[in-house]
Amino acid sequence: MSQSKAEIAVEKFLEFTDGEVASFFESCVHCGLCAGACPFYVSTQDPKYTPTYKLLPMVKAYKREKAPLSKIRKMFGLAPDPVTEEELLEWEPLVYDSCTMCGRCTTVCPMGIDIAGTIRKMREGYAAAGLVPEGLQRSAEFVEKTSSPMGVTLKALEAQIRHQEKETGIPIEIDKKGADYMAILSSMEIMGYPEIIGAYAKLFKKAGLTWTISSEAYEATNVGVQIGSGPLAKSIVKRVVDAAEALEVKYVISPECGHAYGAIRWAGPNLIGRQFKFDVIHIIELLDKLRREGRIPAGKKDGRKMTLHDPCQLVRRGGLLKEPRRLMDDSCSDFIEMESSGIANICCGGGGGVSANPRAEELKLAAFGQKAKQLTGIDDLEVVIVPCANCRTVFEDGLDEYELNYEVLGLGELVAATLEE
Amino acid sequence: MTPQTVFRRLQETGQAGLGFALILLCALWLTLAGSAAYANSHVRAPDNAVNSFDDPDADGPPNTQGSESRSAFWSALKQGDIATTSSSTADGKAMQTLGEQWRLFRTQYILKYSGWVLVGVVGLLMLYYLVRGPMKIKAGRSGKTIHRFSTVHRVAHWFIASVFLFLGLSGFIIMLGRPVLTPIIGREANAILTSAALQGHNLFGPLFIFGLIWMFVKFVRGNFFQMVDFKWIFKLGGLLGGHVSSKKFNFGEKAWFWLLMIVGSVMSITGLIMLFPWLFEDLRFLQASVILHGLGAVTLLAVAFGHIYIGSVGMEGSLDSMLKGEVDENWAREHHDLWYEEVTGKPASEPATKGETP
Amino acid sequence: MSFLEFVEGPLFYFSGTVFVLAGLWRIIGLIRLGRRKDISEPKGSAAAGFIRGNFRHFFPRRVFTKWMWMHILGGYAFHIGLLVVLLFAAPHVAFLSDRILAGFSWPALPRWGFIIAAEFAFAGLIVLWVRRFSNPVMRLISDWDDHIGSWLTFIVMLTGMFALQESHDILRAIHMLMVDIWLLYFPFSRLMHAFTFFLSRGHTGATYGRKGMIP
Repeated sequence: MSQSKAEIAVEKFLEFTDGEVASFFESCVHCGLCAGACPFYVSTQDPKYTPTYKLLPMVKAYKREKAPLSKIRKMFGLAPDPVTEEELLEWEPLVYDSCTMCGRCTTVCPMGIDIAGTIRKMREGYAAAGLVPEGLQRSAEFVEKTSSPMGVTLKALEAQIRHQEKETGIPIEIDKKGADYMAILSSMEIMGYPEIIGAYAKLFKKAGLTWTISSEAYEATNVGVQIGSGPLAKSIVKRVVDAAEALEVKYVISPECGHAYGAIRWAGPNLIGRQFKFDVIHIIELLDKLRREGRIPAGKKDGRKMTLHDPCQLVRRGGLLKEPRRLMDDSCSDFIEMESSGIANICCGGGGGVSANPRAEELKLAAFGQKAKQLTGIDDLEVVIVPCANCRTVFEDGLDEYELNYEVLGLGELVAATLEE
Repeated sequence: MTPQTVFRRLQETGQAGLGFALILLCALWLTLAGSAAYANSHVRAPDNAVNSFDDPDADGPPNTQGSESRSAFWSALKQGDIATTSSSTADGKAMQTLGEQWRLFRTQYILKYSGWVLVGVVGLLMLYYLVRGPMKIKAGRSGKTIHRFSTVHRVAHWFIASVFLFLGLSGFIIMLGRPVLTPIIGREANAILTSAALQGHNLFGPLFIFGLIWMFVKFVRGNFFQMVDFKWIFKLGGLLGGHVSSKKFNFGEKAWFWLLMIVGSVMSITGLIMLFPWLFEDLRFLQASVILHGLGAVTLLAVAFGHIYIGSVGMEGSLDSMLKGEVDENWAREHHDLWYEEVTGKPASEPATKGETP
Repeated sequence: MSFLEFVEGPLFYFSGTVFVLAGLWRIIGLIRLGRRKDISEPKGSAAAGFIRGNFRHFFPRRVFTKWMWMHILGGYAFHIGLLVVLLFAAPHVAFLSDRILAGFSWPALPRWGFIIAAEFAFAGLIVLWVRRFSNPVMRLISDWDDHIGSWLTFIVMLTGMFALQESHDILRAIHMLMVDIWLLYFPFSRLMHAFTFFLSRGHTGATYGRKGMIP
């Protein structure tokens, strides 16, 4: 007997409700504070964007089927109704369009509930039941064909690499076996900000380390994590792991991209079920390490007034708080933090697959309004350093929408540009 | 199911919860009230309490009332004709009668009429509702809203509102329990109820003072007298028809605000005096406090009934401001036209219609 | 057996037993659901994160206090006030010592102290509850469990206050009856957050503690 979509989704919901998620569902007291932390609620003032409300179908499934004492509650008619497909469909925009899994809600939650992480698990149910927004579905199809969610082919990458070799005059070797480091990139970088490849070449030459890019696995973006499909996420991680282990590298460098880092660094080993034979290091971590080892000494500082955007998946949910700041201090003379920077920083509004989902465009730009407010709060700001390629594209759209004129730069580019000659 | 229908359902269940809670509260009061017979056998009286209401000596021990009337003598004593005293409180009279006057005023006026005043106000409001019906939004709801009160405003309002209602109810039992409730539920039950109400009233009193200060801080802006208020007064606030202009708060709201602040302060101070009577040696403070507290209570409750009426069933759309913080544009246009123009920049003469971009 | 003896005796012990057993059942059930194993290489300690996460969420971050202050003050006033009243009001100390702890006792607060604590508890609870129905977000996410929990707690506190004069057994009996009902309701409801909070904070603390961050 075939299962209905609702049944498939509920089965996944329950599968992913371990003691951690269950304790979240049990202890939420509906205080509503999370709403005030969510850029989607704050910019729209629509109560349905309250983070904890977005979890409701999964909470219902849990309280009906899995919660301790749920049987007694059922006896008294106190258990919630079964989750229906219509309900799931109504919630789909809440789960995909209005949550970037930035996790800011957790920082205000008196119960410390990780709503973002739970949304990620909730999406497993949606993906399994095939209830995924069209835009993300298309990205997934691209990934299956070309390994890149934007359809970046190897040829396109090679063209960009050759161009950067010409720009910098430094050769970049593809598939170099035995190199220490293997860089993976986000499609967004290859397409929109190829200068980062040149920046890597320049920095790594200065540091004297050997590195390469794999022709088999150059893509870091993990659509599987964004859609919430474990199997897809696993196959994407597996591709990188296989390539890295075949090239016998010691490190894989995760690029300036938020979800990509979490996907391979924190989720990766759990997805493929074993530890890697190499270490994953984020480019910011690596640059900071090289800088402190004196291998890429800083040169003349950039004198413009700059601020730093903290990508949620790198900082709040990734653990890289001090590293980018040390690099900033070395690279610019007029660095100023925006309000609520660091752990409590506001999301750009486009992470977690939202920017890949055309239906969510308007919401994304509305949410960026909160970011814009942070930026305009700094007088005479000139440059925003955004160490995440996805945030960067959202910034460019958003700054356009709010008619703001700031230069947007990656951190790697800034470090490369201010390197001692 | 749309999020909206779930919203509605949640609201309904929320209201069911509310209903359940109210039933519980009612049950509680009824338990208190209906427990008279039971309570008779289970009173643990304080050491100095009179143990029975059927005490044959209740009117005093026998042979103490004298055998002849000497009214002329007592009258002379009261007026200070036959004896003087150095006490400052007795106005040079050997027998002070203020206590007796106080007692008489309390029983003859306050206890006698305050209940009827409140019943009368409720009756008038019901009559007004039956004759004129609820005040509708003439242009209908536009579906678009403007922000009127922040969450803090709303919480401050409901905080003092709930404390006020509790104090009103418990105060009513304390003051009118004996004349009104005793004939219905009996002396014992009334004694129990009064003990409970008094403890509750005393404990909630300080919360009212806190609420009053909070209310003042949050609402004083916009509540000062403005020239446009003259017109409002002349037209009696549109009570009998006709259009009245007003800014954020109309004169009625302003009057209620200042009445609450002034009478509320009097209630707070007199309440504290009654809570801590030893703070003043002069008994007259205490006597005046009892009187003022009773008069103030009746005044505030009577006006509050009107406020509750117009904030709920009496005027369509007004409750939104305190539940959601947002009011319909057409409501604002019709009742606070100058404020509407100030906030939206649109003339109040054109109704806002659905679908129009703000 | 009088009504008071019944609600203070058999019914109280029954409710208390349900409270303890059902509560333990629920917490142990939650712990037994386990936790997904994480084999990624840690940057920090999960165990330390569990503890740190628990403390971290007692203190709101400063950037948020601008709009959270009312909720924070209300929440702390209510919870601390209630805890003080519960544990240090003289009648409570006497009752607990007499009925549960076999004579073990501790010093109670003077009357004025516990009255002040009660004022804070009431003020906090009223703020929390009126916020629940006067805010669109709260209206959307609140369900019957939230309202019943708030009201039951309020009624328990209110009836306790009614009995303050300690002159009528029936008032004490009504308070105890409400306490018994509250104890019966507690383990099946969201009131359990009083015990589950350490799990949710701890889990998040552990998950992110491994990553070197306490959000």
